[in-house]
Amino acid sequence: MIKYVTKRILITIPILIGVVFLIFVMLSVVPGDPITVMMGEKVKPDVIENLMERMHLNDPWYVRFVWYIRDALRGDFGESYKLHRSVSSVIANAFPKTLMLAVTAACFSWIIGIPAGILSAVKKNSIIDRLFMGFALCGVSVPAFSVGMLLQNLFNGILPVSGFSSPRHLILPAVVLGWGAAGTIARLTRSSLLEVLEEDYIRTARAKGLMPLRVIVTHALQNSLLPVITMMAIQVSSLLSGAVITETLFSIPGIGRLTVDAINTRDMPLLQGTVIFTTAIIILGNLVADILYSVVDPRIRVEGGK
Amino acid sequence: MEANRTKKELQERGKNKPDRENAVPNGISITEAGRKAAEQKEPQRTPRRLADAAVPVFDRKAAIKAMEEAALSRREENDSFLSVCKRMFRNNKVAAASGVILVIYVLMILFADVIAPYDPAVVNLMERLQPPSMAHICGTDELGRDIFSRILYGGRVSLLVGLVPTSISMVIGIIMGLLSGYIRGLDALIMRLADIVLAFPSIVLAMVVMYTLGASTFNIFIALSIIGWAGTARIVRSQTLSLREMGFVEAARSMGVSRTKIMARHILPNCLPSLIVLFTLNIPDAILSESNLSFLGVGAQPPDTSWGLMVSQAKGFAISSPWMMLFPSLAILIMVLSLNFLGDGLRDEIDPHLKK
Amino acid sequence: MKRKLTKILSGALAAMLLAGCGSAFDDGSSSSTTGTTNSSSGAEAGTAASSGGEAASAGEAGSVSPAGNIIRIPEADEFPTVDCQKDSAYYVVPLNIYDRLIECETVDGQATLVPGLAESWDVSEDGLVYTFHLRDDVTFHNGEKFEADDVVYTIDRMMNPETQAVNTDFFSMIKGAMDRFDGKADSVEGVKALDEHTVEITLDAPFAPFLANLATPSCSIYNREATEAAGDKFGIDPELTIGSGPFKMKDWVLNDKITLVRNDDYFKGAPSLDGIELIQVPDEQTQKLMYENGELDIVDLSSFISQLDFFLENDQYKDNIVRGTEAGTYFYLFNQAMAPMDDVRVRKAVQMSIDRQTILEQLYRGEGVVVNSFIPNGFAGSYEAEEIPYDPEAAKALLAEAGYADGCDIELYQKTEDSDAMALNQVVQSMLEQVGFHVTIKQMDDAAYTASRKEGEIGLQRAVWWADYNDPDNFLYTFFSAKNTKVRSTNHTDQKVFDLLDAGRVETDNEKRMEMYKEADTALVQEDAAFVPLFQMNHIVAVQDWVEGFSISWNGWTDVSYYNVSVKQ
Repeated sequence: MIKYVTKRILITIPILIGVVFLIFVMLSVVPGDPITVMMGEKVKPDVIENLMERMHLNDPWYVRFVWYIRDALRGDFGESYKLHRSVSSVIANAFPKTLMLAVTAACFSWIIGIPAGILSAVKKNSIIDRLFMGFALCGVSVPAFSVGMLLQNLFNGILPVSGFSSPRHLILPAVVLGWGAAGTIARLTRSSLLEVLEEDYIRTARAKGLMPLRVIVTHALQNSLLPVITMMAIQVSSLLSGAVITETLFSIPGIGRLTVDAINTRDMPLLQGTVIFTTAIIILGNLVADILYSVVDPRIRVEGGK
Repeated sequence: MEANRTKKELQERGKNKPDRENAVPNGISITEAGRKAAEQKEPQRTPRRLADAAVPVFDRKAAIKAMEEAALSRREENDSFLSVCKRMFRNNKVAAASGVILVIYVLMILFADVIAPYDPAVVNLMERLQPPSMAHICGTDELGRDIFSRILYGGRVSLLVGLVPTSISMVIGIIMGLLSGYIRGLDALIMRLADIVLAFPSIVLAMVVMYTLGASTFNIFIALSIIGWAGTARIVRSQTLSLREMGFVEAARSMGVSRTKIMARHILPNCLPSLIVLFTLNIPDAILSESNLSFLGVGAQPPDTSWGLMVSQAKGFAISSPWMMLFPSLAILIMVLSLNFLGDGLRDEIDPHLKK
Repeated sequence: MKRKLTKILSGALAAMLLAGCGSAFDDGSSSSTTGTTNSSSGAEAGTAASSGGEAASAGEAGSVSPAGNIIRIPEADEFPTVDCQKDSAYYVVPLNIYDRLIECETVDGQATLVPGLAESWDVSEDGLVYTFHLRDDVTFHNGEKFEADDVVYTIDRMMNPETQAVNTDFFSMIKGAMDRFDGKADSVEGVKALDEHTVEITLDAPFAPFLANLATPSCSIYNREATEAAGDKFGIDPELTIGSGPFKMKDWVLNDKITLVRNDDYFKGAPSLDGIELIQVPDEQTQKLMYENGELDIVDLSSFISQLDFFLENDQYKDNIVRGTEAGTYFYLFNQAMAPMDDVRVRKAVQMSIDRQTILEQLYRGEGVVVNSFIPNGFAGSYEAEEIPYDPEAAKALLAEAGYADGCDIELYQKTEDSDAMALNQVVQSMLEQVGFHVTIKQMDDAAYTASRKEGEIGLQRAVWWADYNDPDNFLYTFFSAKNTKVRSTNHTDQKVFDLLDAGRVETDNEKRMEMYKEADTALVQEDAAFVPLFQMNHIVAVQDWVEGFSISWNGWTDVSYYNVSVKQ
């Protein structure tokens, strides 16, 4: 097991380097230099030259790539061009906000998604099933920002619509973000539970006249929730990877907004930092999901090595 | 490791829907167990009978017969797409209704020239921000353009954005997946490439691509194709891996049928049903991704419009003129929901296990 | 709003290149002040605009500030740093936490230079030597006394290449400043502390706008001890960012909020407000919602027209709008090196196809006036320009004459995130289509746009120019001089205009100068059709009932000092 985890973690390093490489290649062909973007339009050429020199922007991209990787392996992710702060500190500042948002959104999606899925499965093809699934699916079926704008309008004056200064501020963005995830969870719970309900021992239990609810709780649920649990781990990591749109709409100073700002201002060090960070989170989340899966389902064992 | 795991990954499909934020085809499923989880645990769904069938290699005729039988019985397992559709229409009313709505929808969009009451691009400042009325059934936007007409024309872009990148990414994904699954030497390379794409936060990757290429409707196709292929590739690969070990493929191989032919004739057709499902589920993701890109300013470019762009342009008017946001959102909702229901319906029919 | 500032400042730089500009700082009519030795301790006529803002009169209603004695202002972007030597776009913090030798205030609607840290100043006969007499009662936030050495330090810090400052142009006219920047000297030769409270600054050549230049936020004075100790953290760490202004930096949560608090020891007397909160709200509509909830006190509406309808029509808010005419012009610029805009008939056709009055009334709710010249109304050099007619039929005829009877493809460029330009561009696109143009709107992000424009490769573009000095040179030279025509992507070729603009810079007779600019401007609009003048807009700010004393200052940048603002409690 430990061997397996170590191996999986080691595999992430080339992936991360690949991701950085991708950014370097793509952004090196885009016109526009970060200095002009940052400093406005008519900064004198000698000032730009001075800054380019001092920020090593005159070197070709592959040279900068090698330097970057070298520094990054030592734990130095450079300094943001725009914010004049170390990338690590900027990310450390933003991450707790994203984390809180992601966790709240995930909780919301489970609270809504799992019961909705169970109800739908039990009352399969009934009106309730259709209603719940329809509602859950609405979350995944419209752009997040239109749901967000709608909620902002509906709850304006009741709940804070912007910023991040109190737990109350979390409610609306978490709902927007969590609604989509709730749809996924509800569908998964439903289909997973349906499958279990078809199995022989459940049918037998039913045939014996056991209470449907009890059957569901004691037998079906614990089996059917296994895939749902692993899905949750994946979802948390995907929510963490930056709710770009929700964070922009609700002015939450998290990783997602940081990333978009970094792209807009050609802030290469910051962009690389956030992308490496979120990529690592995604990979980690998936690893946790895999391990979790093998723990909850003994039929699948995670094998170490060959 | 990979080889040990593949036995248990048989029949894996990209069922886990990416959440809305990262709504791109399979944007989050880098993990194997995750997809499996989504697919319900069912370790051995492959027809043992066939996989274990002993093929008498020395007898040519017998070999061909066995191979045919194998392929045939596979086909029986999977059914033709048409019969699946028929069955679905019979059994699943929601999916059937979705299919009908989709057809009507597509027709309306295709015949936008005929149906649309106004030119979608003509600005009429005297009629800006009109609420829905008989003259403008969905109202007008901040430049006095008829929203209903714009939804019809914008649907063309949205539909294209749904279809084109999804098709491109699936073609790339299928080729990559087949190569990866069938040619051992390429496997690691292609899969690491797919890992990189899948690990990259998809909306960020799309944005970077859009900035690299410049914002235009055409470049959206490229951006969404680049982020979309990896998921398909992984699914095709694992199906290929399982199919490769099956009797009829082994038989073909032993007959000296070329690799290309095996991939094209035997493996691909067997992947097809699940790919069709994947296709219907990837289209809405592409449409939503384009909306998100529009919101971030790198989506469809005027005078073209897309539903996503319309919604994001309504950003400042959501309170004062809610119809600007509401109707295009509704257009997206109906399209995406119908495609999802349709995809689900198809999957239920194709996947024998979920059959009632 | 920030972009605007950037443009204004870039304009300032252009104006500074003015060599013998005997400019008319007080509305172009009275006599020149340059070159005279004047020891003034009172207000000096400054870089006047025709119209400044009106004071907020919104506070009649009895409502009180819900947040106590502070004001809360939304900011759409995060500031990179509040060290204004290293940033040229965000001035709200520098204006409130630092002081300058001279301040620019709006007095009776005119931008006026008033003494700041310098009590008075003398200018030598030849306009080369400025002697500043400094106040002796100023202390920085860290308790240090303000002395002449701080001025010397501030100027040296800006020119020190190690600082990586971006606003070096504000001091580059000082003798020896460029040598310092190029590493040829260890200090700026032209700056000397004569004693603890006297500084002498010598210029390379006479530079008329020098005093106005010192009043810009970039020339804020830093404390040597605090700034040297802070090192890289100056302007970033609120604890270490020391000024002498009416407010002190208290807290900075990145991408969230900056908190300023009152400086009780301010030399002009402590401000009425306890503090200022600058809150990050990137989304326009969210800003509006927060204003409605009373979570924001002052919202600048100029940057988002989408909310204009709401504020102007809302009974509760429409009386709380503070307006002032903007000191600038909106226009479309042609790129004369790109087909089909290389044909003057096509350019004229575009001029005549845009119904500017309708756009102004419908899209901008009439908040401004249509202009027919580059020089905005009320500015030095402004004149009664001949009106450009809206005549689509004539435009069609011209297009046909130019050989585009079957239609003419034209590309309209804009920055991706500029939603205001997008609204206008779509209207114009539609109007142009009606006379036979096929318009493609090309969007580029900020970086790419600026880079392409520098290469002269941006096509038809909407542009805005806000003045910083009351001089037509500031407008015309920036876009249509031989020097700038490529970097602004106009690719103008009219030698007559080039000559007039160059001559205008050295001409000393004011009346003659203005005549030259009028001639150049008329040639540009009427003969060359080098651009389409559009509007002079109103600057519109929504202010809550309880805010008192807010006025739109016209001094070239939209950020203001909140020293005089108070709230009802």
